[in-house]
Amino acid sequence: MRRKVWLDAAAGALLVATLAAALAVPPERTMGDLARLMFVHVPAAWLAYLAFGVTLVGSAGYLATRRMKWDRLAAGSAEVGVCFNGLTIALGMIWGKSTWGVWWTWDARLVLTAIMFFVYLGYLGLRRGIADPVARARRSAWLGVLGAVQIPIVHFSVVWWRGLHQPPSVIRPGGVQMDDEFRIALAVAVLAFTAVYAALLRRHMENARAEEALAARLASEEVEVAGAAITAPRYGEVD
Amino acid sequence: MPLATPAPFGGPGPYTRPVPAAVIDLRSVGVRLGDTPILRDLDLRVEAGEAVGLIGANGSGKTTLLRLLATLLAPTDGEGAVLGASLSSPERFAVRPRIGLIGHTPGLYPQLTLEENLAFVARIAGIPGEAVGEVLDRVGLGLARHRRAAACSHGMQRRGEFARVMLTRPDLLLLDEAHAGLDSQAADLVAHLVEGVRRRGGAAVVVSHEPGRIAPLVGRFVELQAGAVADPGTAAS
Amino acid sequence: MTGLWRQAWEIARKDLRTEFRTGEVLLITVPFGAAALMLIPLAIGVDAPLLERVGPGMYWSVVLLFGVLVTVRQSAADGPAQMDVLTLLGLDPAARFAGRAGASALLLLVFEAVLAPLALALYGSDPRGWWWVLAVLPLVAVGLGLLGTLAAAIAAGVASTTLVPLIVVPLSVPMLLAASQVTEGIRVGATIFGWLLLLVVMDLLLAVAGVLSARPLQEAAR
Repeated sequence: MRRKVWLDAAAGALLVATLAAALAVPPERTMGDLARLMFVHVPAAWLAYLAFGVTLVGSAGYLATRRMKWDRLAAGSAEVGVCFNGLTIALGMIWGKSTWGVWWTWDARLVLTAIMFFVYLGYLGLRRGIADPVARARRSAWLGVLGAVQIPIVHFSVVWWRGLHQPPSVIRPGGVQMDDEFRIALAVAVLAFTAVYAALLRRHMENARAEEALAARLASEEVEVAGAAITAPRYGEVD
Repeated sequence: MPLATPAPFGGPGPYTRPVPAAVIDLRSVGVRLGDTPILRDLDLRVEAGEAVGLIGANGSGKTTLLRLLATLLAPTDGEGAVLGASLSSPERFAVRPRIGLIGHTPGLYPQLTLEENLAFVARIAGIPGEAVGEVLDRVGLGLARHRRAAACSHGMQRRGEFARVMLTRPDLLLLDEAHAGLDSQAADLVAHLVEGVRRRGGAAVVVSHEPGRIAPLVGRFVELQAGAVADPGTAAS
Repeated sequence: MTGLWRQAWEIARKDLRTEFRTGEVLLITVPFGAAALMLIPLAIGVDAPLLERVGPGMYWSVVLLFGVLVTVRQSAADGPAQMDVLTLLGLDPAARFAGRAGASALLLLVFEAVLAPLALALYGSDPRGWWWVLAVLPLVAVGLGLLGTLAAAIAAGVASTTLVPLIVVPLSVPMLLAASQVTEGIRVGATIFGWLLLLVVMDLLLAVAGVLSARPLQEAAR
């Protein structure tokens, strides 16, 4: 069996480069060493959005073509996305506690990130609940599309709700003063995490395909055994 | 939908259309659940006016075949047609009201009375409600018509199912475990249903664990073995 | 088209008749929601101005969280055998969706209507501007009925009873925000038409999604 390891190797190398860059940049002017959290937090947040976007593409692709590889794409991406989404929230909370002294603020982006987390936990729960691969693919594809269509509405309503009732948020995009070095290191980190996502997704899809093949093989063996044990009834004798 | 007046079960049904010569025509049909094969390379042709007994061990695919014939499952391999409609295309939606299926589990709503259950069926299908009382009498449930399905024994619910099929008078009748839990009087109903659909020019497929009981009803047997036809057309003895 | 509405009406009528006989919503879910409304003041302390302030928000939270239980009620669920019967009767899946969602919306409206005076009494909130809330009640009932029915159709055949609520609750956030903002807007005298419009858009979108997905989801059943 030939394994394509180049993607894994590239992801690993980029991660090492990210680690080196993240440690090499000088401490940030206002935030100090804490700003290094950004090298994980920002790429993880980006990946959550990317992963759920890919789940939408996979779901729509499955509904259009009925080919299982689209379903494996949607499922793998959702699972990796949920992990990165959880990581984003956890790191964001650590950042918030150290910077503003609170674990959570009702910023629209935070609320949306948390809601997305629950939407795709539901998606994964649905997948676990259905044994038949075809039924699972069809049903989860509809949820993959519905969830993605609803998210802009959720986002819009949360932004509107925030805009009406609270003073402008403490979190402003670009609120952290970024030096060029910092910016380059962040770009490396985003690239590295995207490579990790691609590698995990590919492994995930390979595993899913192998599981399906194994299930099919076990099942066909079972059927053969059961069939061999059958003695055909003799109708004349029954009568 | 043009509606027919209530007629004996042998008469034409509300959805009866000219029945094609081959009511069932399967060519190398296979059904896989994911990658698991349930039915394999199945050829089956059932002519108008014919009744076929379907036998086979547990897990041989009898119920799956019946659901395939009822258009509730689409074939994953091969080509099949029922009442002239391809099983793989949306054509199959149109012939559904002409198919009657009685499965192992009764499909009655437990909180509705027998009469309400059948009246509901009639209204969904667009059949005049007067027929409801008649079919209930014919299956021997006339006195129990106001009893809720939940309070009926399994045998009575089975009779309720027969009444439903009498109401819709299908051109293709599919019976799973035809005689399970039935007394001899109800067994006569099975014979009546199968005879009626044959006289109407339709076809029937009857699954049973007791080939002896259905032998008088069917022209031939088909045996399934591990999802394939083992014995196409042993004459019923 | 008339056939579709007639079939939808028959499904809704059957669902409602079943509800009147089992009382699953009126005798079980409504008291459960009422108990939840009582639980909150016990947990946060009996502070009259605070309760008055949080009352409407608590009411809408309870409506959404417990209203999901109305849409997944056991008595309206079709078992596999009943689904087969309905399918072979030539029932249009869109009619089935519309009928079920309609019956659920009506029961949700009853649910909301029973809990509303109770919330007013328990929390001592000011019922000013109630006529606008009267417009919100049916919009939320319809939206939640549609979303719950759609989620139940997607999750058909899954054993877990909590999966549908998990799918519904995050996606119903716009409804929760809109409903509570209308109540809040009336209190402070802000404009509420945008929120009402959001509810209408949400209802329309869910209706379209439900009708479009009804056939494919039914055929995906095994």
